[in-house]
Amino acid sequence: MTGKILMRDGDSVLTYPELLERVNAAQSYYPALQTGSLVEFVSNLVVALARGGDVVLLDSDLSADEVAGLGISGRNEARKIEGAPFADIGAVLEAVKKSPSKISIFTSGTTGLPKKVEHTVASLAAHVRVSENYSGHVWGFCYSPTHMAGMQVLFQILFNRNAAVNLFRKSKQAVYESIDKYGITHISATPTFYRLVLPEKAAHPSVRRITLGGEKSDKALYGALLEVFPSAKINNIYASTEGGTLLASGGEYFKIPDGEEGRIIVDENNELLVHKSLLGESDSFILDGDFYRTGDLVEWIGEGKREFRFLGRKSSLVNVGGYKVNLEEVEDALRSMPEVADALAFGQKNSVLGNILCADIKLKEGAQADVARIRNFLADKLQPFKIPRKIRFVVSMESTATGKIKRL
Amino acid sequence: MEKLESIIRLIQDNKGAPSRAPIAAETRFREDLGFDSFDLAEFTVHVEDAFGVDVFEGGVVETVGEVKKKLKI
Repeated sequence: MTGKILMRDGDSVLTYPELLERVNAAQSYYPALQTGSLVEFVSNLVVALARGGDVVLLDSDLSADEVAGLGISGRNEARKIEGAPFADIGAVLEAVKKSPSKISIFTSGTTGLPKKVEHTVASLAAHVRVSENYSGHVWGFCYSPTHMAGMQVLFQILFNRNAAVNLFRKSKQAVYESIDKYGITHISATPTFYRLVLPEKAAHPSVRRITLGGEKSDKALYGALLEVFPSAKINNIYASTEGGTLLASGGEYFKIPDGEEGRIIVDENNELLVHKSLLGESDSFILDGDFYRTGDLVEWIGEGKREFRFLGRKSSLVNVGGYKVNLEEVEDALRSMPEVADALAFGQKNSVLGNILCADIKLKEGAQADVARIRNFLADKLQPFKIPRKIRFVVSMESTATGKIKRL
Repeated sequence: MEKLESIIRLIQDNKGAPSRAPIAAETRFREDLGFDSFDLAEFTVHVEDAFGVDVFEGGVVETVGEVKKKLKI
């Protein structure tokens, strides 16, 4: 079937007419789909939302233990749906926009357990802009579709009937080949994604807009990007699983928008706090009064306390290539190994990922385990990005006065 | 080169994909060795420990030869 393309992922392609056909033909969908195929993921999502079915977004690399730990039953089990056929793709997209479906996303919580946050299309797409001016955009899709940023980009693409090419986890060469071959105009990705496609000798002028989000970025990166994408404007966003896109800026500094001064605040320890009215629905938010603690540390720029920049995360979360890793979750998994007496996980600065995950491990007396054994054990329990890539065996660990291991 | 090769072998072993296929200057990390960003990060850590040089500082390197050049070996 031919028709306007929605998504390309390697050899697999989904067009808008095919999507309409799939929605109209569907008698069931998967409320908790775990798939490595972006095309399957998108079709299932649109079917669910157009028909008002709830969905849980699961990363394709979650282990069986992790899925069970999240309290999810019915993984990859179909549920029946029904509804009158849609006349055209426009009607499908209108139904998606107004969808009552609950969309559950998981994020690593500060308590050591991933927490579920419930969103709707309305809350996820609050910052999506739809207009004639946005038609004809070709997106490089560079996020996991099961995370907040990926969902936002996906709705931006769908509602403007744009095309997208999957670039997530593709090689540098494949990324530039796709940009040139398909004339990609818009890219939204983490700083790690951009760092991995630099340096690049050739310029790629088809790209008109570069958006960075999910991690701290810096001026040097903007400069390098402007050389490779000379026609592009650079945009930096701050979003969280809890609140969606909250702030946007043209550079390293963010400004609290007019009218939101009292709803986005910074406490005396420089942590950014967001008012509950800006958040999605979740039972697992731990609010401090009316505010949610983001765990992000910021620094004011200038006297007026209106502009700031991000410094990084509070110590229990480390951003590894755009993924937030809860160190306590990693340590809990390590301590569940029969050979391990104690473990300390930490981030170390790294030129590829921003931070690399490391662990110091103290083995039980007489126990033996090597790096391969530890990695294999963790592979059954944790997503790959949560597995320490630098492991040291130590004979003792320093404790703080409260008996906790000292986090440096 | 032996040291560099042993680091590459270590990362292949660690990721559960041991290989003894020959490594040459033109061997590409992503396409030929199948390294993802996490493997590359791990590689930089070991190389920095062994040689004191962060080979990814100033941008991504794609081949073993580019790393050797940066390390002057």
